[in-house]
Amino acid sequence: MSYSRHSRHFELSRKWLLILGSVLIATFIGLFFHVKAQALEPKNNVNLYLFWGDGCPHCAHAKEVLEPYIKQRQNIGYQKYEIYYNVENQKKMQSVGEALKIDASGVPLLVVGDKPYVGFSDSTGNEIIERLEYCSVNACPDSVAEIVGTEKPIAQDIPSAAKENTKTEPTNSPNQSSTSRPDKYIDLPLLGKINTAHFSLPVLTVIIALLDGFNPCAMWALLFIITLLIGMKDRKKMRLYGTAFIATSAAAYFMFMAAWLNLFMFIGHVTWVRTIIGLLAIAAGGYYLYDWYQKKTGCKVTGNEKRKEVFVKLREIVKERNIWIGLGGVVLLAAAVNVVELACSAGLPVLYTGILSSTGLETWQYYAYMLLYILFFMLDDLVVFFIAMTTLKVVGIESKYSRVTRLVGGVLMCILGLLLIFAPQVLMFG
Amino acid sequence: MKVIKIGAIWCNGCLVMKPRWGEIEKENPWLETEFYDFDESPETVEKFGVDENLPVAIFLDKDGNELKRFNGEVEKDELLKALEAFRAK
Repeated sequence: MSYSRHSRHFELSRKWLLILGSVLIATFIGLFFHVKAQALEPKNNVNLYLFWGDGCPHCAHAKEVLEPYIKQRQNIGYQKYEIYYNVENQKKMQSVGEALKIDASGVPLLVVGDKPYVGFSDSTGNEIIERLEYCSVNACPDSVAEIVGTEKPIAQDIPSAAKENTKTEPTNSPNQSSTSRPDKYIDLPLLGKINTAHFSLPVLTVIIALLDGFNPCAMWALLFIITLLIGMKDRKKMRLYGTAFIATSAAAYFMFMAAWLNLFMFIGHVTWVRTIIGLLAIAAGGYYLYDWYQKKTGCKVTGNEKRKEVFVKLREIVKERNIWIGLGGVVLLAAAVNVVELACSAGLPVLYTGILSSTGLETWQYYAYMLLYILFFMLDDLVVFFIAMTTLKVVGIESKYSRVTRLVGGVLMCILGLLLIFAPQVLMFG
Repeated sequence: MKVIKIGAIWCNGCLVMKPRWGEIEKENPWLETEFYDFDESPETVEKFGVDENLPVAIFLDKDGNELKRFNGEVEKDELLKALEAFRAK
């Protein structure tokens, strides 16, 4: 009984303690938000600089996310600079990049205070809003203002100049509303809803890579080395040298594509660059269609002297007793062959990297897409190598397949080339 | 009649044609064929004037005169038709 009363007393005490604790916590939370709300009261004018391109979907997304927020904030000055069509704005963007020591080759580029944001996603939007909030209460340096020739935000009481700081942008860009491209969803069985904007770039990557892969410019050296190794019936060497050859070819092609990508990123996606890539794509597409129309199959015997030199060296490499020297030889020769043969299949990778550079992705995503491209590009080599490894026979891939890829590739290149020139926004995947 | 085949080990089309010719030769034991490697037989290459696409199949009559020439990949049926047409020559 005594125990029960004592226990009940303890329960009551605990109940009161819980109530008291809850009240205290609620008070602290209330105080915290009150203090925070006070802290968030804007004290400063802040400039948000947006360098954007007409037709760039990520730029349109940035506007969609940020503009409603900016409209509610009287202290935020909003400066927009279109760079695809406006050379002056391009120069400003470059100067901003130099001042902030960043790679200002892609849009959207946003700057709050001295903090730049290259590219845009929902998380970037949140970061920018947080930064705007921060700079509204804490003075942030603004070196962009001097470069673009706008007023530096000065800490002052609010309300003040407010939206007067929001200039209409100095640009001759076309109608802005054309840049707004809402996400498009398709409902697929098993896969569910898919955003086509996110889906189309991987699909395009795989299609172009496969078309490119069936144009076996550097495959003759792989066939030659496999045939020599099969003749020796040395599976260990075959596996090692074949893998080394394929890996080196993939690395050489990757570097070649990375060089094009960086060139396009460096030059920027100004109209004339896009037009040149488009014209090159149409020319290469025309050549593909001409090649398809010729109906010729088999292997061209022109340029055979170069091949003979490679064959002599490959024979020496295969005969080399020291496997490591042989391996080094294969790597060097594979790199040399691929570099020489790059011109043979320049059309599709150049076009692809041109398109890729306009998507406004994160840096790692560019390289991930190129790796995906390389994987599908090397698929035919991998198939031939795998069959040779398992059956000790070298198989050829019928020319009729490469002829189909010539036709499809030619048509695709012409279409993509025309789109790049006349409707680039279609190719700027979100 | 004889068929001269010229190919190369680095040539994808030659690898495609190799099993096709293998089947034809097996099914037609009367057929006489000779194979020359493009890189190792420069005299034959020059003699027959091979300057287009590989593989090349040259049909010769008993006197060594050229009857027909195929460049590149050819379907088996087409080769069999040509063999039937020139068999007596």
